[in-house]
Amino acid sequence: MSQLQTRFFTDNKKYSVDDVPFSIPAASEVQELSNVINKLLEAKNGSHSQIEFDFLVRGQFLRTSLSNHMEAEGISTEDVVEIEYVERFTAPQPEECMMHDDWISSVEADSEWILTGSYDKTARIWSLEGKAVMTVAGHTDVVKDVAWVRRDGLTSLLLTASLDQTILLWEWNSERNKLKARHCCRGHAGSVDTIATDPTRTKFCSGSWDKMLKIWSAVATEEEEEVEEPPSRPRKKQKTEQLGLTRTPLMTLSGHNEAVSSVLWLDSEEICSASWDHTIRLWDAETGSVKTTLTGSKVFNHISYSPLCRRLASGSTDRHVRLWDPRSKDGSLVLLSLTSHSGWVTAVKWAPSHEHQLVSGSLDNLVKLWDTRSCKTPLYDVSAHEDKVLCVDWTDSRLMLSGGADNKLYTYRYTACETDAGA
Amino acid sequence: MMRLSVSRPEKLYSTPITDIRNTVGNVPMEWYQDYPHIGYNLDGKKIFKPIRNKDELDEFLDKMENPDYWRTVHDKTTASDIRLTDEQVDLVHRLQKGQFGDVNFNEYEPSVDFFTNEVMIHPVTNRPQDKRSFIPSLIEKEKVSKLVHAIKMGWIKPRKPKETTPQYYDLWAKEDPNAILGRHKMHVPAPKMRLPGHEESYNPPPEYLLTEEERLVWEQQDAEDRKLPFLPQKHSCLRAVPAFSRFIHERFERCLDLYLCPRQRKMRVNVNPEDLIPKLPKPKDLQPFPTTMSLVYRGHTSLVRSISASPTGQWLVSGSDDFTVRFWEVNTGRCMKTLEVGGAVKSVAWNPNPAVCLVAVERTVLLLNPSLGDRLVVSSTDQLITAYEPPEEDKEQAVTWALSEGLEHNMGHRLTLTHPKAVKQVVWHGKGDYLSSVMPDNSSNLQVLIHQVSKRRTQNPFRKNKGLVQCVSFHPLRPYFFVATQRYVRVYNLIKQELTKKLMTNCKWISSMAIHPGGDNLICGSYDCRLAWFDLDLSTKPYKMLRHHKKALRGVAYHRNYPLFASGADDGSVIVCHGMVYNDLLQNPLIVPVKVLKGHQITHDLGVLDVTFHPTQPWVFSSGADTTIRLFT
Repeated sequence: MSQLQTRFFTDNKKYSVDDVPFSIPAASEVQELSNVINKLLEAKNGSHSQIEFDFLVRGQFLRTSLSNHMEAEGISTEDVVEIEYVERFTAPQPEECMMHDDWISSVEADSEWILTGSYDKTARIWSLEGKAVMTVAGHTDVVKDVAWVRRDGLTSLLLTASLDQTILLWEWNSERNKLKARHCCRGHAGSVDTIATDPTRTKFCSGSWDKMLKIWSAVATEEEEEVEEPPSRPRKKQKTEQLGLTRTPLMTLSGHNEAVSSVLWLDSEEICSASWDHTIRLWDAETGSVKTTLTGSKVFNHISYSPLCRRLASGSTDRHVRLWDPRSKDGSLVLLSLTSHSGWVTAVKWAPSHEHQLVSGSLDNLVKLWDTRSCKTPLYDVSAHEDKVLCVDWTDSRLMLSGGADNKLYTYRYTACETDAGA
Repeated sequence: MMRLSVSRPEKLYSTPITDIRNTVGNVPMEWYQDYPHIGYNLDGKKIFKPIRNKDELDEFLDKMENPDYWRTVHDKTTASDIRLTDEQVDLVHRLQKGQFGDVNFNEYEPSVDFFTNEVMIHPVTNRPQDKRSFIPSLIEKEKVSKLVHAIKMGWIKPRKPKETTPQYYDLWAKEDPNAILGRHKMHVPAPKMRLPGHEESYNPPPEYLLTEEERLVWEQQDAEDRKLPFLPQKHSCLRAVPAFSRFIHERFERCLDLYLCPRQRKMRVNVNPEDLIPKLPKPKDLQPFPTTMSLVYRGHTSLVRSISASPTGQWLVSGSDDFTVRFWEVNTGRCMKTLEVGGAVKSVAWNPNPAVCLVAVERTVLLLNPSLGDRLVVSSTDQLITAYEPPEEDKEQAVTWALSEGLEHNMGHRLTLTHPKAVKQVVWHGKGDYLSSVMPDNSSNLQVLIHQVSKRRTQNPFRKNKGLVQCVSFHPLRPYFFVATQRYVRVYNLIKQELTKKLMTNCKWISSMAIHPGGDNLICGSYDCRLAWFDLDLSTKPYKMLRHHKKALRGVAYHRNYPLFASGADDGSVIVCHGMVYNDLLQNPLIVPVKVLKGHQITHDLGVLDVTFHPTQPWVFSSGADTTIRLFT
């Protein structure tokens, strides 16, 4: 079999080898290349222990034999091949399984606590170890989305959005484990499917089935804001039984022709929303006008934005995860399609600390971990769920979360490579 | 007899004797037949015919006896016999031989060489040569230069070099096929004779030998009906085989076969099978349409008879034979609500306007408030129902309206319409106030009822029974009402209260009907596997019949926005068709089946029972006998 001239390099100083070309059999695969690097490292440093590596040829992960990969990518085998190697991202290990009473519609984790919304009309707070800490009950219908607002020491503010057309802002003291509904945000005329807190943690945006986006203040205050609301509303009668003070939106963004399915803040001035009308819109949060419209061909279920790589990932009612550049001016430009799911992609989430990784959940019961440098196959398939996966999330503390229609919230531990963290 | 046409020598020679030359000239002598004279002589005197009394006998005697008879000629002009002299006879002989008349003329005179062939040293003429023979001709030069110029300018093309390769042609290319050679080409060889099989062997294996019964049958059969023309026989050895008794017969039959067999080459029509397929656009170009199964809504425990999507597209309602009505969230497949209704649910219909859902149960029609979606709409729906004030005088109605209270009210029941007979179908009017219910019954005129919810009124629009009503539908825009009986669809004008149109479906038994939201087209599904597509403006006959399903159709549906319609059948499949109607009247509607969606299992010979489209997305729901509802996107 033919030999290839290769040169190995890495960003990680710990594992760097000499910059000399090696002759490698063209049929060699990842395992053989990994052995080569380990041999070289052992020769350099006697105390080196075996490490699994992954290899990138021109920014694409090597998944087949080297010759096949180069043929597929159309790289000449005459020249010296530059191969980058990184420590292999190990498979996410299932850690905890948190049982709920009903389907889990949404999950959001901060560094200590996990907040989940469920179809049993409650939201729950869990510790990272999987202990149920608090049940947030107050909605009269299914909780569709949850979000953390801010934490000041031991008190946290959190939001729950529900099918009963309200968003509740709660204050939770983790030491005394006391929960208090501070505000009830009314104004939507349909189920509130999505909420997102802005980067300054003072506002949040919500998207609803009534095609509207509304921006609300996320600061808990003691004053009544009732003056803003016209007194003739029939809802006023119900206020006696309400939780917390009623709050009205600061601003309403209208423009979508169908239900809004997902909303997020790109930065403190820009909101991005995905809708059933096959569009993703970028809004100016100050003026409330549409800045850009990205048009797709299918209903969007969920979007996620990574400030590291400045890409938007979308999950839609087909099998693909699509990556978009929200800054591109020429409208609808799909940068990349990640195709491996066999059902609707219901949830996507970029890794908080890695610019290439994202996780997606689908109706085919699978959670997939993707690396954008390997768009044909995902890095790992996680098949823990027995029913539809409805939500996924990451935490900064090396946990991946996924919840679904089998009433279970799974957490998985993953190890990020040193080099990639903070890249 | 010899006649001498040349008269001159005769005159020449006869003048000395008697000059009786006739002066009439060269005129036919017949002209003087009736006259005594024959002409005039030189003196102008008549020449009288000589007295001729010679008869044939005299002529003959004269011929026999007169030695000069052979040289006697008759001169017509003078009517006298002339005896030729020896010179004259000699001349005649010479002329007869083709010789010159003059004896002395020598035709072979020796030639005289006037001009010698030898070149003389002295020229014949001593004229010096012209100057112009030495200098080139100006005219020629001009001519040549003109030609050269023309060649240079390309006006004259140099002659093409002759092709050296020999050219061949097919001598028999245009052969007449009826000519002998053509017939040779069209030769069809005679069919070959069948080779003898085992049964013709002198010692056939025993299975080829006929048993006694078979032999009897064989003997009783007509010669034409026999499978074998002979009886297989077994002989102990070749020596014992007798002479072939059927030899002459067999040869005769073979000759008869060859003689009678038609030898004509069959002209095969060379048709590309692809040309026979009508030109249809590729389904890829007709997107979007549902292609894959995305969600399965599980929860019912018996067959799901009917489904309906909410006008916003967020919810789906389904009615099943397990006595429940279920409400589903479309995008997750979550069952949001289950309502027990105490009877098999035959039909459900979501009100196109507010959040009222209508359910037809055996003998009752229930109006339900699902309490899903916008709170305002939910409460306004309740207000609409409670705002009813009963009229002063109570009229007798075909159905009884009852307001649900207490526990049932909390469950969502609002109004109960108790019908005298089993209700099969309910359908809303587009405005959402009127609804119609169907109670199929062949024997009475009480088959279709139209109810008004706000006034709680019921009326029976038909006085006569026109056949078993299968399904009804309101026109989406105009006050028309469609009633499908077993074979016909009747269109009634509700304002004028008259029959507007009667559509012949060409089906045996209509099962379902759907009207395009534009109101111009209608599709009918039937139990005999057909789907009829009507253009209401065009004709009362189907514009197109689609026979794609293998089994009876159970449900048909139109999409509200996209040019799509779907049909579900007992073969467990849903077929989605693209049905585009153009504003341009000259362009024919484009009806293309685009996708067969499979997924439902066939249970008790029932497959898909109902189909409906999502109101905004190109998605189709189907409910099946396998207790599931499926969403195809």
